[in-house]
Amino acid sequence: MRILAVAQNTFRESVRDKVLYVLLLFAGVVIIGSKAIGWISIGQDIKIIKDLSLAGMSIFGALIAIFVGTSLVYKEIDKKTIYTIIAQPLHRYEFVIGKYLGLLALIFGVILLMSMMSAIYIVILGGEINHWYFIASFLVFMKLLLVTALSVLFSTLSSPILGAIIVFCFYVFGHATGVLIDLPRQFEGSWSKPVLEGLYYVLPNFANFDIRSEVVNGVPVSYSYVTYIIIYGVLYSTFFIYLAILMFQRKDV
Amino acid sequence: MNTIAILKTVSLTKKYSSISARGYAVQDLSFEVNKGEVFGFLGRNGAGKTTTIKMICGLLLPTSGNAYINGCETVDPNSRRNLGYLPEQPYFYEYLTPRETIHFYCKLKGLNVKEREQEWLRLSGLLGLESIADIRLKNFSKGMRQKIGFAIALVGNPDLLILDEPMSGLDPVGRKHIRELIQQQKELGKTIFFSSHVLSDVEQLCDRVGVLSRGKLVATGHIKDVLQQDIRQVEVVFKDVAVSLMPFLKQRGTLLRTWENYVQFQFDTILTANQAIAECIHNGAVVIELTPQKETLEDYFMRMQIIEEQQKKKGEIYYSRVEE
Ligand SMILES: Nc1ncnc2c1ncn2[C@@H]1O[C@H](COP(=O)(O)OP(=O)(O)OP(=O)(O)O)[C@@H](O)[C@H]1O
Ligand SMILES: [Mg+2]
Repeated sequence: MRILAVAQNTFRESVRDKVLYVLLLFAGVVIIGSKAIGWISIGQDIKIIKDLSLAGMSIFGALIAIFVGTSLVYKEIDKKTIYTIIAQPLHRYEFVIGKYLGLLALIFGVILLMSMMSAIYIVILGGEINHWYFIASFLVFMKLLLVTALSVLFSTLSSPILGAIIVFCFYVFGHATGVLIDLPRQFEGSWSKPVLEGLYYVLPNFANFDIRSEVVNGVPVSYSYVTYIIIYGVLYSTFFIYLAILMFQRKDV
Repeated sequence: MNTIAILKTVSLTKKYSSISARGYAVQDLSFEVNKGEVFGFLGRNGAGKTTTIKMICGLLLPTSGNAYINGCETVDPNSRRNLGYLPEQPYFYEYLTPRETIHFYCKLKGLNVKEREQEWLRLSGLLGLESIADIRLKNFSKGMRQKIGFAIALVGNPDLLILDEPMSGLDPVGRKHIRELIQQQKELGKTIFFSSHVLSDVEQLCDRVGVLSRGKLVATGHIKDVLQQDIRQVEVVFKDVAVSLMPFLKQRGTLLRTWENYVQFQFDTILTANQAIAECIHNGAVVIELTPQKETLEDYFMRMQIIEEQQKKKGEIYYSRVEE
């Protein structure tokens, strides 16, 4: 109940902060992108538009998750709006979870709209859309669940700018964790090898959530993999939010 | 009579992690506020008033010691079920309207839809928010903000109100309005704990005061006991005093200033003032103005500081308590 109140308020704040303009940006990118493909007239343009749309959801969603997420708790402390909130009979974990869920609801809405908009556009262009397109979109959302959790964690620890830089690094490296276990020969026997390999297991692997090329090219993906990835995302996010709550629990505001 | 302490602190201490000159922002603070009391929390800038209030409201974690609301430790959010808090400067979600703001805080207090609507009607009526109900707060003036802040504090009709300098930054009309609101809440049987460094606000409202100096509680009790409220000096303005009378007056009191055909003297007691006045009137002068001088909060703080420094030199810790 109190969590929902905080969540609803966070959602409302983001909407009134005009975060939803990102949808226009997305539409612009997809439409201009598809036109560009038409001009250069390389074949298979429907595939490319699907690919572009899913990549766009991932990138624009991540922008919201990182920029809104890393300032989520920090801004409340900085602007002192948190004073009268903490003075309510509200547990601090309720505040953190409420903020997180509010932003997630917004991101879910944004991904849903992007997914619908692009699907309709693709159908208009004569392409075909099946349920895997929406499953791929949902996995983008699951990835953002994790990015948002990480951003919220940093919003309890550091300034938004520093937090955004760190989460952005996580995001970039998290898409390329494969290189860490696929190290070139020179690393053989050096101390850095186990460290880097260790990182592979510790860093969240964002690439796991991308089933974009499979879906675009009609390569089958198993439901058990989808289920596994959803559980992976939920557990990892829960862990980050748990850390965020620990950090916030005894913080002076 | 058995009164219950609705608010209580025991050796409450706060040391900020960043190094400050005296180390402790609040040190070993112990006091009790009883149900139905209006308690004034006095202290100069930087004395530690806000720090204490923030610990009571759960914003800051005490370095040591405890604070209790109705016997419940303030680190437990349940202690805040019956608490209303007005911060030093109220900050709001600027993108909300007053109506949305009150509804939001009602939800945090756990009220249901019907109770929320009733609460909005009650508070918007009490503070006159109807005409601005649906304007976003970012457009509001200081006085309107203080009203909204007060309304937030009153959400859920709490028994304990903690107000951090509720009248600072307001014009006389605004101050009067807030004073009336406090008085009103008092009549409803609420307990009010408010900080201030303005004596007149405190004098008019408080049953008891606590005085904080450099993080330590230096006195608690009725304001008349804490301040030396007996008349200390009397200032008199005369008109048309004969020159021949001046030596006589200078003997009894101190000449403060002269201008045109006026003179202003200060006398140490009422009695000497009266003697001087009698003599002057007898000789054709006129008394224009007579002002008794009482100790002000500023004088009090100066006196405290002097005592404190003297005690420090002697290596003692100064602590006085005036019980009612
Ligand atoms: N966040 C902080 N970090 C470090 N020191 C602080 C912090 N907040 C306050 N202080 C210091 O603690 C002391 C007490 O400050 P506090 O704000 O409680 O005083 P106050 O009595 O409310 O003063 P005022 O009348 O100016 O509001 C001051 O010396 C202040 O500089
Ligand atoms: Mg203060």
